[in-house]
Amino acid sequence: MPVWHKAAQQWVKDGRLVLLGVTQEQHPERCSLFAQWQGIQWPILHDPINALQTTGVPILVALDEYGIVRGVGPRLESFERDFLDKSFADGAAPNDAKLTPPRDTNALGREARTADTSDSWRRLGDALAIWETPRQLDEAISAYRHAIRLNSADLNARFRLGVCFRMRHETERRHESDFSDAVRSWEDALGGQPNQYIWRRRIQQYGPRLMKPYPFYDWVTQARNEILQRGELPVLLPVLPSGAEIARPSRTFVADESSTSPDPQGAIRRDSRPLIEATVTVVPTQVKPGETARVHVTLVPAAERKTYWNNEAEPLRLWVDPPPGWHVTRRLLVARPGEQPETNEVRRLDFEVQVAEDAAGTGRLSAFALYYVCEDVGGTCLYLRKDIPIEIPLVTAE
Amino acid sequence: MFRSLLSFGLLSLTLTAQAQADSYAPRVGQRHADLTLPRIDNREAVSLSQYRGRKVLLIHFASW
Repeated sequence: MPVWHKAAQQWVKDGRLVLLGVTQEQHPERCSLFAQWQGIQWPILHDPINALQTTGVPILVALDEYGIVRGVGPRLESFERDFLDKSFADGAAPNDAKLTPPRDTNALGREARTADTSDSWRRLGDALAIWETPRQLDEAISAYRHAIRLNSADLNARFRLGVCFRMRHETERRHESDFSDAVRSWEDALGGQPNQYIWRRRIQQYGPRLMKPYPFYDWVTQARNEILQRGELPVLLPVLPSGAEIARPSRTFVADESSTSPDPQGAIRRDSRPLIEATVTVVPTQVKPGETARVHVTLVPAAERKTYWNNEAEPLRLWVDPPPGWHVTRRLLVARPGEQPETNEVRRLDFEVQVAEDAAGTGRLSAFALYYVCEDVGGTCLYLRKDIPIEIPLVTAE
Repeated sequence: MFRSLLSFGLLSLTLTAQAQADSYAPRVGQRHADLTLPRIDNREAVSLSQYRGRKVLLIHFASW
């Protein structure tokens, strides 16, 4: 992409060409940071749910003055001669099709309730997911679920439902199972259309390194540093990519066998109320013996107790104890502390697990987190342990 | 059992074919369908049809 951006700058400046981008990723801010880093100023549109149904990226399409396609995947060397310098005639039939839903969610809601078809409910979900605020994600999820109930083979609705689950997982309105539900929905969609690489990438983004085609967001740190060096403020990212999202692909599994448990006797007091809530998501959701998975542990201060992390003490640690024959890339993980003495952000930690060759049924790893937390402002601060059972459903070879 | 497996297979084939038929596939010589999406930086709605009268290079990509 940077190659075309650089080459086309003069054509854009001369008014001979318009560049228009469409990104297929969930987080628009990450793409904005990328654009800032690369000096991209042309408009980039956001299609987080794959409304356009592109099956892979990049795809470049050259359109003439009449909106007629004159090239798909044009070559840079001949672009000026074969496209920019050429005159075209308006010789194509009209095309009234729209690749994206209308924006009027009220009208789409009425249409969905009247027609009650999978298509109409999916279109409502699409418009809510693309145009509305995160508060409307609940409605988008309901619309997609209804679409799937009416037509269980609606793979687009399944993928988009997964996107909405993951989006809600990153808001304060998250449900405990949102991330797992997202992965399951994406797997359901991909199962019916295995050549859909945009869908596949969503799973790979959070999956094990053996599954990855490339690191997804490992450029973020470099981009932020270079933007700061230019004297600019980098675009703020509400959710910093970490763990699986920046991990490099690997064809080997290196197990951590040397770390020692931070609480071998189990003496630390348990978080029984709880002040911190933990959820676990395994990607992929089912693993074969001998294969690997990425385990994501999300830790959230309990909102109703106004819990916050105490960052003046040692940081949150997660200890993982795999059963015999199983291996993990890291047994002891440490969370990045908040920047203020007291914070209440979501903390995400992830690691990879390799399933034993002779495993069957459901694999169980024991894990626990140790953390300093305080209840409400001026409340008691405690050092607590939360036991986090991790279950990994296994696919047994027939 | 065999019949239900066959039905499932046919259904899967139909679904796969349907899904592929609906995939984004712009064809040279045909007018591109319109699309309207929000910009990533300010959420302003932008339509492809706004650029009629100009030559456009439409770039589908991701920052990863």
